[in-house]
Amino acid sequence: MRIWLNGKPLTLVPGMKVREALIQAGLLQEIEKGGKVFDEWGNEVGLDGAVENGCRYTLKPKE
Amino acid sequence: MRKRLTWISGFLFLLLMASSLSYAGESKQLRILYLNDFHGFAQSYPSAGHSEKTGGIAFLAGEVNRFREKQPALLLAAGDFIQGNPWTNLFDGKSAVEVMNAMNFSAMVLGNHEFDFGQDVLKKRIAEANFPILAANVRGLSSITPYVLTEISGLNVAIIGLITEETSTTTHPKNVQGLTFLPVIRTAQHLVNDLRNKSDLIIVLSHLGLPADVELAKAVRGIDIIVGGHSHTRIDKPMKIHQTLIVQGWEHAKVLGMLDVTVRKQTIIRHEGKLIAIEPRQQKPDPFIAAIVDRYQQQTAVILDDVIGEAQIDLHGKNSRSRETSLGNLIADILRRQTHADIALINGGGIRADMLKGPVRINDVLSVLPFPNHPVVLKVNGKELKEIFEHGVSDLEGTAGRFPQVSGIEIVYQPANPVGQRIRSLNVDGKAIQPQSWYTLATNDFLAAGGDGYTALTKILETMEHKGNHPMHENRVILFDSGRAIRDMVIDFIKDKKLISATVEGRIQKED
Repeated sequence: MRIWLNGKPLTLVPGMKVREALIQAGLLQEIEKGGKVFDEWGNEVGLDGAVENGCRYTLKPKE
Repeated sequence: MRKRLTWISGFLFLLLMASSLSYAGESKQLRILYLNDFHGFAQSYPSAGHSEKTGGIAFLAGEVNRFREKQPALLLAAGDFIQGNPWTNLFDGKSAVEVMNAMNFSAMVLGNHEFDFGQDVLKKRIAEANFPILAANVRGLSSITPYVLTEISGLNVAIIGLITEETSTTTHPKNVQGLTFLPVIRTAQHLVNDLRNKSDLIIVLSHLGLPADVELAKAVRGIDIIVGGHSHTRIDKPMKIHQTLIVQGWEHAKVLGMLDVTVRKQTIIRHEGKLIAIEPRQQKPDPFIAAIVDRYQQQTAVILDDVIGEAQIDLHGKNSRSRETSLGNLIADILRRQTHADIALINGGGIRADMLKGPVRINDVLSVLPFPNHPVVLKVNGKELKEIFEHGVSDLEGTAGRFPQVSGIEIVYQPANPVGQRIRSLNVDGKAIQPQSWYTLATNDFLAAGGDGYTALTKILETMEHKGNHPMHENRVILFDSGRAIRDMVIDFIKDKKLISATVEGRIQKED
């Protein structure tokens, strides 16, 4: 399953979640600092949210 | 005379139908309250990167009461309620259903994680629920219903349940054995066609995830509202795709969703929706729900402190970042046996404590394995194994946590060699691995996603992804069980064996 995080393609096992996408991108620690993940419609998503093939996400660091 | 009576009774019937379906042109208002992906997070907690606690089902219930006092409201649950947190996991979801009964939910759709305790447990939970549990696209589970028709605020409302088709592949196979997950769009279209003339409003209670909800709204005309879950999406204001409103309320009871609609002639002519943040500092809990939460929390504490077995010797795990350890061997053995894989690999950095000789409690296991990692089994060849374990011994200081703890394989490495050239031999069943031979490798989802720098594992997924025009043709993911954490496997193993022991036996050897 291929998804995009901050424009970077990532490959995940079907059933993996937003958390695993952040792990693969090496960005999980940004969440600990207060960063948030948003979907392509601009909605915030939780780390345990299911991802689907083709989804696009943006990690926004804490302002 | 008889003809006249027949005509009059026919007229009265039509009038009755018309009035009950709001054909008369009178607008009616409906309030819908909703939440999704509760996952048993009954108590408030601070989200990562934040200090203030949010959520708490008793506080959310207090808000539900407050809004219900003003007008009748549907209360809908969009799946994944009974699994995810010790507060509910330790009771196989019974605590969550008890709370939901007390909150008087109107309906719930099955989420994929509702299957995580197996079908027998699920059937018990469904039998305990005093609200309908829906899933129109599941065949083989007799205790669920595809939809409900309910009358509220003078409106006939149809509520259809739909669950992600991926449940069949992302849940442990034994938990969905004998079940068929039908295509979502075809199922929805069929039911909408059937229910359109029997209802003023059609709501799909979905556990599909927002992207699939959007596709559903585009493909099936006639759905008025989709109340969604699965993607844990915080939709602050309702989305509108064609004539369908889509709402979803984030996760873990951190918000309560509220959607007010005005309906006339089977059409939503006005809507207003928002998410109400659940902030314990500012809201009053429902005392009855708070008592249920506390009772199960007290029982949770007792269970976590229960002795489940005994370590016959000190099992060392703290040094797992730099060398083979007895506790690392034990956990890797459990993972390999439970998944029937040839080899098991876990990251030393995931083992955070020792397990000393004497009584073992669940809390001890949670201290050793604080992360709820899940098992993944991949099909790998010998060449890939070499690359994987070269990475495993690339940081011998142990600062990164990548050092492997293994089962089913013997590794000899030469620490003085440059990174990438340290593995001297890899043996499985006493035989050197062959670059082109295939093996099954059990690991955790953290490493399979490339955590601790294991990009060799994500490369395996990429080869699968890019095979010809059919990306999933060669399936190299044998198992991904998102419903059972590896630490739960360890707990169950200790409960079963009672006496546990393990030694360092030279699975990973240094050679000068």
